[in-house]
Amino acid sequence: MHEMAIAWQIVEQSLRIAAEHGAGRILEVRIEVGAMRSVVPEALEMAFTVCSEGTAAEGARLHVTTVTPRARCNPCGREFEPQYGFFACPGCGQADVEILAGQEILLKGLECRSPQEAVDP
Amino acid sequence: MRIEVVENVLKANDAVAAANRRLLERYGLLAVNLMSSPGSGKTALLERTIPMLGPAEPCSVMVGDLQTTRDAERVGPYTVQATQINTGTGCHLSAAQVAEALARMELDRLAYLFIENVGNMVCPAEFDLGEHVRAVLLSVPEGDDKVAKYPTLFQKADVILLTKVDLLGVLDFSIDRVREDLARVNTRAPLLRVASRTGEGLGDWLDWLRRTRAARVAGGS
Repeated sequence: MHEMAIAWQIVEQSLRIAAEHGAGRILEVRIEVGAMRSVVPEALEMAFTVCSEGTAAEGARLHVTTVTPRARCNPCGREFEPQYGFFACPGCGQADVEILAGQEILLKGLECRSPQEAVDP
Repeated sequence: MRIEVVENVLKANDAVAAANRRLLERYGLLAVNLMSSPGSGKTALLERTIPMLGPAEPCSVMVGDLQTTRDAERVGPYTVQATQINTGTGCHLSAAQVAEALARMELDRLAYLFIENVGNMVCPAEFDLGEHVRAVLLSVPEGDDKVAKYPTLFQKADVILLTKVDLLGVLDFSIDRVREDLARVNTRAPLLRVASRTGEGLGDWLDWLRRTRAARVAGGS
């Protein structure tokens, strides 16, 4: 359940960003999760619900977009899309890669009530 | 209102991991993150490795477990310092926990710092601690299908130790199957066969540690 640790971070960063923009209650949080992260979207959504309770993000929807993985072969330099559990280069056959995409967890945006709608003290 | 940002969600962990790495770079030591399932022999490996390295290559150990100080007590007698990190319900070590433990360690005396992660083949792979290298263990009793089942962990390994190889004749375990799976997941990390109980293969492991440390210290990175 490392999703809990990730959810805490999402809530904390969302609250800070909303506060920096003088926004009110958070309605939606949009994140991108690399397909290679061992993150289960349903588990993350559940963890987010728990972690956001009692905050300005309580009840907000967590919108998760999956990012396609991308790798570069270290021996031959070819870039390709690795499949889950399969990192062998289609060019040279070696499984020695640098992951370029697919491991990220990015906070991309928030949908919030505007400041004048803010009701929270 | 709509707010657009691009922020790394693990930036808190990654920032602390980067700080840990910068701190460790100041010393001539090699920091090894040991990851595997529970019971694969991480602690047993350290109990054999550290005395074999001897007083010329002093080691400290940081051990992550949900509960108990048993592993730190086991490796304690062989180390400069052994620190137990109890994660409570946490399934992995975080960079912050390592940073806190590092602050209490005498790093200038060390040749190696072993960070024994919480036994788990999923979550520890997700959290950078600031280590230099990742050693992943797979024990013979766990079965020869684990590389295919937990590819993320094995993909990130710098060295893979097949442990408890003294049981190879007793259990049905195909090293060829492990090799076939590794051909798809990680051909960079060497696969070392070891048995902490009999000492088999520990020489190769020590050679790998010494070579890796020497390369790191010589490379100045």
